[in-house]
Parts: sequence; C-alpha cells; structure tokens
Amino acid sequence: MPKYDVVVVGAGNAGLSAALQCQLAGRKTLLIEKHNVPGGAATSFVRGRFEIEPSLHELCDFGPEDNPGDVRNILDGYGVKLDWYECKDCFRIVSKYSDGSPMDVTMPSGIENFINKMEEYVPGSREKMTTLFDLFQEVLDGIAYITASKGHADSKVLQADYPNMLRTGAYSTKKVFDALKLPQKCQDILSTYWSYLGVDMEHLAFIHYAAMVHKYISRSAYIPAHTSHQLSTAMVERFRELGGDVWFNCRAEEFLFNGDRLCGVRTNLGDIECNYVLANINPDIIYGKMMPKDLIPEREKKLSAARGRIMGGRMFTAYFCLDVSPEELGIKDYSIFLSGTADSAVEYQNILKGTKSNEYSIFLCYNIANPEFSPEGTCVCSFTTFGAPDEWGELKQADYFKFKTDFAKKILKNLKDKTGIDLVGHIEEMEIASPWTFARFLGVPEGSVYGYETRDWDGMMARMMMLGADYPIKGLRPIGAAGPRGDGYSATIICGQLMAANALKDLKEWEGGNK
Amino acid sequence: MSDLNVKVGLIGKFDMLKFKNMSKVREKAIQAAPAKEISGVFPINENAKALHPDFLELEIESIIERNAAKTFVLKGVNGKPLPYFRAGQYISLKLPMDGSLVTRSYSLCSSPKEALSGKYAITVRANPGGFVADRLLSEKKIGDRIIASAPQGFFYYEDLRDKKQVIGLAGGSGITPFLSMARAICDGIEDFELTLLYGSRTEADILFRGELDEIARVCPKFKVVHVLSDEEKEGFEHGFITAELIGKYAPGEYSVFLCGPEAMYKFLKPEIEKLGLPERLFRRKLIDVTKTPWECEGYPQEVKGKQFTITVRQGPQECSIPANADEPVLVAIERAGIKAPSRCRAGECGWCRSRLLVGTVFIPQENEMRRWADVHYGYIHPCCSFPTSDLTIEIPGEFF
Repeated sequence: MPKYDVVVVGAGNAGLSAALQCQLAGRKTLLIEKHNVPGGAATSFVRGRFEIEPSLHELCDFGPEDNPGDVRNILDGYGVKLDWYECKDCFRIVSKYSDGSPMDVTMPSGIENFINKMEEYVPGSREKMTTLFDLFQEVLDGIAYITASKGHADSKVLQADYPNMLRTGAYSTKKVFDALKLPQKCQDILSTYWSYLGVDMEHLAFIHYAAMVHKYISRSAYIPAHTSHQLSTAMVERFRELGGDVWFNCRAEEFLFNGDRLCGVRTNLGDIECNYVLANINPDIIYGKMMPKDLIPEREKKLSAARGRIMGGRMFTAYFCLDVSPEELGIKDYSIFLSGTADSAVEYQNILKGTKSNEYSIFLCYNIANPEFSPEGTCVCSFTTFGAPDEWGELKQADYFKFKTDFAKKILKNLKDKTGIDLVGHIEEMEIASPWTFARFLGVPEGSVYGYETRDWDGMMARMMMLGADYPIKGLRPIGAAGPRGDGYSATIICGQLMAANALKDLKEWEGGNK
Repeated sequence: MSDLNVKVGLIGKFDMLKFKNMSKVREKAIQAAPAKEISGVFPINENAKALHPDFLELEIESIIERNAAKTFVLKGVNGKPLPYFRAGQYISLKLPMDGSLVTRSYSLCSSPKEALSGKYAITVRANPGGFVADRLLSEKKIGDRIIASAPQGFFYYEDLRDKKQVIGLAGGSGITPFLSMARAICDGIEDFELTLLYGSRTEADILFRGELDEIARVCPKFKVVHVLSDEEKEGFEHGFITAELIGKYAPGEYSVFLCGPEAMYKFLKPEIEKLGLPERLFRRKLIDVTKTPWECEGYPQEVKGKQFTITVRQGPQECSIPANADEPVLVAIERAGIKAPSRCRAGECGWCRSRLLVGTVFIPQENEMRRWADVHYGYIHPCCSFPTSDLTIEIPGEFF
C-alpha cells in the first residue's frame, strides 16, 4: 500500500495551496483529484476554437508586483509563476437605486479614483467615503493582527489599535453603513460586490465585506493570461517539481481510521496509508458519506443542523463565444452587474424564489481585460447568477436542457434591454452550466461553490475565532469554501495554506508525543 | 486614523463586548440545534449524478438486423433508468477483446424520449478489417452486458446558436445522430427544421431507409434527400454532396451539420467553403483520429513504422508497454489491457488527458483541441497523440 505523510483530497484552489504548503514543509504529500483536471472551479474547457474560463471573474488580494496582496505573496512563496492581466475598472452596475431611479455607474480601481468617482455620482459623499475607507484599512490591519497572533490576540492591543474594528466588527454591513450615515446612493453602489460573498448586506458581517471590498478597490483585480486552468496547472506542476505526487481521476470514497485517528483513504485506485488528510470537500459530504458515523462528535452534528440547508450561492453560468469583437458588440466594460434593484436583500430573495423572479446576473467580457483571450475578431462573454435550491432540486431530466436554455435566454434579453448589447446572432459556441453542473464537477452540495453562507452568527470572523472547535476529527481537516475564510479564489487559497499549517503543527506535536 | 471613531450601537463598550462574544454567540447557535444524523444527500447532487453517472451498465435487449449493420437496443441493467441526452450525442463503449480493453464511441440513434423508459439504441456497421465493429456484429447477442460512458458530445442543435433551418449532411453510418435528431423533432423534443442530404453508394446501401421516409411522411419539419454516388435512379440525387446540391435544397438562412467518414470530410471541405458560411453556422461531428498519421502535415517521416516503449504510470502502478509509431498512444495502452480513461477518440472530450513526463509525440492539427496550459505544461490526449520516441506518461484512473 502506498504511504504518505499527507494526502490532500481535491485539487481545488484550497487543495492545491495545501498540497504545496505541505510538500514545501518536507512532508511526503499526495494530491488526489476525482476529476481529470485540477482546479475544481479553477479550470477551463474548450469548445471549437475557444477556451473558456468557467469561474474566475477577478482575483482579489493579488495586486501589482510593487504592492502585492496576500495571494501574490502566497503564490510567490510557493514558487508558482504565471502571466497575469489587470482588470482595470472595478465594475459597471446597471440597476435601480433604492429610491427607484435608474442607476448606471462605472467605478474605477484605486481608492482615490473610487472616492472621486463616487463624489461625481453622489455629490457630497467624499467625507463619508473617506471615513469608510479609513475604517476598511483599520479592519484589514486588525484582521492581519488577529491572524498573526494565531488565536492569542491581546485585547489591550485590540482596544488601543483597532477600536473601530471592534466596534463595527460584529455588525452587518448595512448597520455599519447606516451608522456612518453613508448616503443611500453610496450604499446602493457599494452593495455591488455582495454577490461575490453570497450574503446580502443585512446579513453580511461588515468585517468580511470590508476586507474583500478594500482589497478589490485598493489593489485592483487580476486574471491569469490563459484562464484559471493555467493557475491550477502551474500549481500542480510546481507541486510535482517539489517532489509531490498527483493522481487524477482518483476519488476518495472513504476515510479509514485506526481508533479515532485517521490512517488512510480508500479510493478507486486502491487504499492509501497516511497520517493526515486535508480534504477539499464540504464537511456535510465527509460526515454524511465518507466516514464512520460513530466517530462524528455530537457538536459537529449540531453545527450541520444549525446551518440547515443554508448553502451559499448555487451557481448558474452561461458562456458565449462570439464571432465578432467586443467593439462590434458595443462592449466596453469588463464586468457589468445587472440587477433589478440595488437592494441586495430583495435581489437575494428573488434569486431564491427562482428563475422567474431572478433578475440578477454579472456579465463579463474577458477580452476587455485580456485582448488575447480568444482569436482575433472574436470574444468570449459569460453571465453568472444563482439558482434556487428547490427549483433545481425538483427539476426533471427531460425538462433540464430547455429549462436552462430558457433561463439563459432571459438573461441575454435582460442584457440587451438594459445595455443594448445583443449577443444573439453572433454565438459560435456556447455552454450553460447549472447548479447540476457544479454539483457534478465539484461535488459540492447543491452546486454551491460558496460553501455555507457566511451570514450572521456563522460569519468569517466568528469561524476564524473558533478554528480549534470546529471539525475535531484527528488527522482530518476539511478545507475550501466551506472553511473559515469563506468562498472565492483568494479566500480558498489562503484557507488551504492556513489549514495546512495547522495540520503540519498537529503532525509535529504527535511525533513529539510519540518519542 | 486616530480621529476615526465609528459607533454602530448606542454605547461603544457593548460593541466591543459583542465583537469578543462572536464566538460565544456562534457556539450558542450551534448548541441550540439538534444533533441530527448528517445525510450528505442533496437533491441537486442526486440529479447531477443521475444525468452524469460515472459509467453505465447496459444490457442488449434486442438486435435489429440491417443490411451489413445491426441496431443494438440497450437497456440499463436491472431496469435502471438511463440518463436523458441531446439528440446527436454519443456513448462510448468499453469492450474487452482478447486481453485488450478498447473504447469505441457510437452516436445514439434513438430518440431521447426512449431514454426516459430506459432504452438507448446504437447502430454498428460492418467495417471489414477493423478491429471492433465486425466482432461486435458477430459476437454480441441478446442479454450481453456492456460498460459505456453516459451520453456526451457537442454535436446537437442549440436554438440560441443555430438557425431554425438545418441542412444535415450525412455519409454512411454518419446517419445515426441525424436519425436521433429526426426522431426528437418528430417527438416534439427538438424544435427545428432538418433537411437531410444523405449520401450512400447505392439504394441498397441506405441505412434506415424505412425509418427516415416514415418520419418525413408524418413530420413536416423533417425532409430527407438520398444522394447516391454509384447509382443513377429516379427519385434520387446522383453523385456526391456538393455546394451546388446544398444550394438546391437550402432555404434562405441555415446552419450546416456534418457527420460522415473521413473521406467525406476531405471532399466536403472546399464545398462548404464555397457556401461562404460564417464558422458559427457550420458544425461537424468529430471523427476518430486518422489511421495514416504519416499523411499529416508535420509528421516526422523518419519514425514511421518504428517501435517504442511507453512507461505508463497510473496511481501507484507502473508498467512498460510496446507501442507502434503509427498508432495513437491510447491504442498501445488499450492493447496492454490497462483500464485507462478515454471516450471520444478524437481529441475533443479530453477524458484521456495525461501528463507526458518523458519523450515526444505527434498530434495531427485536426485533433489539436488541448487547453493552452495543457500544451504549455506537457499534457497530451493519448487518443490522438502518436509516439515519436520512447515515452513516460502518467494517465488518470477510471471508475468502472
């Protein structure tokens, strides 16, 4: 039987990151992936003369070389190198303000630019916006302090240096905006990114929102030159270079235990002996299907029940490869957020009700950020929105293809009505991925790539504070979007590193104890 | 930032307490929930698994004898329902033969409607000298079981992309996906108008003559024009399918779908160009990789006929196998009886994607459909990569 120190199950962003971290620390590491390509959502697919990016909109917390974010630092630390394109504007949003008036704004990257632009759209907002960005900065610094203190943050330091973070951190974003007396129109524009976290502004912890938005605006966003498959493959190849083993089409069926400690993994390629598993798998799947029931602590069952069926965004994406250039289609923006209203709570409820009431989508044209994304005179666009759990759960196979095409048609029409951009008549290749598709390729519950909703009591900071309490199975740690940092490329890359560091610590302690 | 002073609640002190208490609040919410067994079962995931199972176990329910061909009607073992599909898709069979484990893909020729009652049909045509087709025809009998992939492939109608009028160009057994489309139109599953130009040698060689004529009779959206190359007869077009012939039957705006043997693709290439269609209005079903790689542009002629050794790694296993320069890497792997993934055998589906660790291969331009990073980092599709040296490759696992 092959034997490894660590087996990383699932080569998604978190798995790739964890595998690199373990191998770099000198642990004999095996990375297994149930699909035949790495990356999970960070992959690509080919249709005709096009290669399509399935999931990455904008990698945040990466930043330029002279102002690197955490993710750039992590990848540099791993020795992963590839070419990137910057997404220069933050976003355009075409929607309605809360007062019902039409909204069509384009926001640039860079804090100063962002505040200036906001002043143009919402005269008199400069002072409040400046305060908001100061608060963002304090929150970021505070999180950095807490993370560096590894669970031993000094409350005196927190009170002295990060009082505003402490005072705002436990509240929802909406509450903090109101407390700041931020003009409603500013709030409407600022709510745009809510869908990247999958929680509306009334339930999204300010601390989480602040960390993400500040990173997007201050450091801009990036995409790999050749889709996120380039990122995943570069990570796999670096891992190999460091001596790691990778098995594709290898699915973990069951975790094996010796007493209450993990000792191996059963897969379609046979059993593997190991001391530790970092599983890029949703904990409900691990506990529900992959390990002995009697080893699951009561608290873990309660944690699962407390979350109920509250999964984050169940993805629906439609990809279109067009045989004309963006200019010919009148596309100028990299990303356009389209919604019925800027009120995220209303939008989210409409999404959960189903395709009929869902007016939400994010339109992307990859060629705007990367002119070489597809052959000359063509472009690739996508729409991203979310599915409702009951609708996609109850849907029958015989209705499936038509149902998803009809939804895509509605989204295409919505773009045309709101921006005049009409893709129909130029579509050379297309593909529609529904929550079924994401469930199929990623194995995530309900096709939710966001893990559990990071809302209210189960927000990012609360999870981070309880890292030691959740998932106490010896030798097995779940990683990924369901983990403490929540969803997204940067969050999962960071999560993989963080959880691998904890696993390495455990291994060291056990070895010490065994001596 | 010393002047920054944000308060959300009425008294700042409570806010701090609230921050510190976040973990307590969370623990309270967790403890308040019941300790229910975790099922790990989600309806959306069950749906996805039913539509896209790892593989299918099929049983031959009946066999319809045709002229130099047979239609195998397949059902799920133990009466299990079969995944729905889009008319034009194929399944890929895994066939053990004399110690080899070979893959062959066949378009489903039945209507998707039949899948709902657990039935698929494929049609296999005699292919003298071929390794698989004739064995299937002579050996397979009712009750035999076959492992297959779920339906897949991109050769289907998409109303957002294609014109409402489709001109289908079929040659020989390339008729099968069109028969499925015609049946789907007839069953009201697909909504487009299909005019099929179907090339055969003689009237006697026409596959599914009766079925096609019957669908055309009852379904006004489907027309079939038989084109005979070796026979001149009334009621039939004579010769090959040309741009001129397409023009004769084509309405104002149309998409062209093509499925036929390699020779037909070569002949039709310049004819299609004459039509001046944008690429988006021309779709073709991919066909097996060439059997004569040395005729391809860029082939290193000096390796023709040479023997090489391939070291194959799969998970913890490693073995060395002989390989022929004139055959794709996949054929060598299949011949060795290795349970290796492969489905389309045309470079399209990417299921056989493998890491080339040592050595070089030749890939015909026709079949070059790899992702950018796969080309850059040394991943190949063994189904359409010909060895040009000794190789070491790492192949993925399989699930059947």
